[in-house]
Amino acid sequence: MSTAAFPINDLLRRRLQTSLIIATLTLSVASTLFLLLYGSRLGFNLTSTTGTLTAGLTTTLTQFLLFIGILIFAVGAVLTSFIAFLMMAQRTRDFGLIKAAGCPNSLVAGYFMTELLTTTLAGCVLGTILGFLMDYAAANIVFSTYQLPNLWFGPLVFVVFFVLSLIFGALPLLKASKMSPVTALSPVTYYSLTAENKHKPLSRHAITWRISTRSLYRRQSANLRIIMLLSIVFILLTVSVAGGIIASGTTMSWVQKTTDKNTIAIATNSMGNQYELLLSKFSGSTETGVFNYSDPNLAIPDSIITQLIGLSSVSLVDTRLVLNEHVQEVNNFTFDGSTGQTFLMGDSRQGDAIVIGVNPESLSGTWSIEGRFLNENDDFAAVIGDSVAQSMYTPDPSKNINQSNPLVEGISFEKTTFNIVGVCIDPINNGLVTYVPIENLENITGLSNPNLLLVTLKSSADQSAAIAQIKTLIQSIDPNLNVFPLNSVVEKNTNFLASTWRTIMLLPLFILASAALCLVGYMMLAVDEQHQEFAVLRAVGAKPRIVIYVLAIQSLIVLISSFGVGISLGTIITLLILMPQPLVTSFTILEITGWLLAALAGMFLFSLYPAFRLAKASILKIMT
Amino acid sequence: MVYAEALGKTYQIGKAKIEVLKDITFSIPKAKFVVVSGPSGSGKTTLLNIIAGIDRPTSGKIFVQGEDLNDKNEDFLSDFRCNNVGFVFQSYNLVSTLTVAENVAFPMEWSKKPEEEIEKRITELLETVGLQDRANHFPSQLSGGEQQRVAFARALANDPQLLLADEPTGNLDEKNGQKIVQVLQLLKERGKTVIVSTHDLQIRQLADKVLTLEAGKLASENEYGSFSN
Repeated sequence: MSTAAFPINDLLRRRLQTSLIIATLTLSVASTLFLLLYGSRLGFNLTSTTGTLTAGLTTTLTQFLLFIGILIFAVGAVLTSFIAFLMMAQRTRDFGLIKAAGCPNSLVAGYFMTELLTTTLAGCVLGTILGFLMDYAAANIVFSTYQLPNLWFGPLVFVVFFVLSLIFGALPLLKASKMSPVTALSPVTYYSLTAENKHKPLSRHAITWRISTRSLYRRQSANLRIIMLLSIVFILLTVSVAGGIIASGTTMSWVQKTTDKNTIAIATNSMGNQYELLLSKFSGSTETGVFNYSDPNLAIPDSIITQLIGLSSVSLVDTRLVLNEHVQEVNNFTFDGSTGQTFLMGDSRQGDAIVIGVNPESLSGTWSIEGRFLNENDDFAAVIGDSVAQSMYTPDPSKNINQSNPLVEGISFEKTTFNIVGVCIDPINNGLVTYVPIENLENITGLSNPNLLLVTLKSSADQSAAIAQIKTLIQSIDPNLNVFPLNSVVEKNTNFLASTWRTIMLLPLFILASAALCLVGYMMLAVDEQHQEFAVLRAVGAKPRIVIYVLAIQSLIVLISSFGVGISLGTIITLLILMPQPLVTSFTILEITGWLLAALAGMFLFSLYPAFRLAKASILKIMT
Repeated sequence: MVYAEALGKTYQIGKAKIEVLKDITFSIPKAKFVVVSGPSGSGKTTLLNIIAGIDRPTSGKIFVQGEDLNDKNEDFLSDFRCNNVGFVFQSYNLVSTLTVAENVAFPMEWSKKPEEEIEKRITELLETVGLQDRANHFPSQLSGGEQQRVAFARALANDPQLLLADEPTGNLDEKNGQKIVQVLQLLKERGKTVIVSTHDLQIRQLADKVLTLEAGKLASENEYGSFSN
């Protein structure tokens, strides 16, 4: 028999095992590649879809995706290495047998290396192809259109996973080549068992518990690998589920907070529609023409404000002057006390932004802020939106701007400079917005009246009756004015954000499925190692359910150990990467706990498949 | 104690059908020592497996202690084996994660016997097989002969009326084989029904009856000494 023919024939003879290994490797490579492609497609969609989401939110989402992408890659790499290790560890006995028959060490090693190469190459090639096909299918289903993905992910996953499989698969072979045939033939070696059990021999625990824990103790090496793998999976799950739910709730609250739920807008029809458009740009609406914000016809008479304040159903009137301005970054010097050096912060970058003059004493919403919002004593101070901060106040080495911080710089328009005191996340105009005191804005533009009122109604008031009363009042003074309930626009924005998060949260679900497959693989190893003993237990009188109990205890111990490690580290990582001002309520904690426990329960039930299969098999079948 | 009627067993391996037992009828009264002999592949192990309720016949009937094992479910058969049948395998088949004492104890634990009774019985059984000083050792620390004696102690744990042993000396040297023969002799004296599949002449000398199988058929049925009593 030629050297190449033996391993190929051997693989063909062991058709079922070979197909299982190749299928598991294929699934592992395919799911990792698919998740990376799908993740990058999501990220690409987020960053390339112009006109949706603010820059701050996009950054939050893409950072989250990037982190998950790294974890997915880590899980896939550990999973593939684990499969390759298991595959070759189980061949140690055959290695010993062939050596015992007198075959030279180098030739035996050659045989098994060829088998390892063949299976891992087949698994990685098929996995790469399947990964692209899955991405093609998902892109067509989820995004309706297919754009070429980041093709370099293919070779990256293929090369890294192939090399890792070879290294980890070759480890047991190298170990076996150094063993005497007797050692290689021992189950102690090929199941990675420890030689002896140090447990107290006559323990008082139930027999099923004793068998389960002692078998687990013997498989220390394999157990450590699976616990490591599952811990990474649970870290990923915790970060994605906890981080995702918190981030989703928090970002949602950012969007909701800017417009109180009992708030209505009062403006002329054209200004009211324009303001709604500015708000809904967040969820994809686009501007069709140029709007003249400084049109004197948009001005709201002072008498209306006075009368509105007098209404019993009104709790607050937020007067606003909304304008479109060409804004410019105003750089500044900063002094570093530790080095005694002075640095230039920023440059003179320019752009267009919506500038809103507000009265800091009567604001209808609150914002998520870096720095602070305007207060009544502020003169020529400004708070900029996150998209303005992202586009004009970030370091840009390509333009020689090495340091930039909006909070030490300024912003200018209409030849007037304002000191920036805060950065806020605001859905208006997708964050391309700047808030300044209305008095300053009126003075520099010469416009003396607001063009928009945000009126907050008392929650105790009959909302529709109050709106009808306000509408009658304002139209009696100026028939061009109208009332614009903002609830539907805010709802549209939050729905859009929620659906974006839902799409992202599909990723952990996929990786959970891969990990569950891996756990089944591990349980099959446990069954394989203990099958003779299970047959004996059954033959001596153990009911089929005893076999399920033994394997269930083993699976539960492995899962709970990994769950403990994963959840602890995952929580720490989540806290480290958590966004500022996270919204964590008791319902959020309940929701996160529920999802994680559901994942644990699902994986546990799935892992019992080999146990149920074994319990159904006849004793003779198990024995052989 | 054991009654088989037109017993047949066929295995399907791929497309091929292998008939292992063909139309076997016999009866074994209580407290008899029966040897099943025959060349390798004649169906001895399959017959013992069917009597123990480990395997089911394809045709015919098998009654053990008055129970028709054909129509019983797995849970019943498990209880039946645990309480009424002791089985000794050729390859010992001890549970490697349990100590000698625990291997002997677990059938009694499943029968929910009191702890004191279990400990008393372990001591008694290990003394019977001469392994009282190895109670806390694991199977991997015992020789083949010692493991086989533990297997006998385990088979006798619930004091079954029927003991089945499949070539119990097949893997042992003469000295260890002799010890097993002594154990079997003791069981015969205690009035147990023993069915042993073996080529061992010493064990054969203990037999009240010898069933000889050839190519799955019952070739001969010879009775000796006390059988008719």
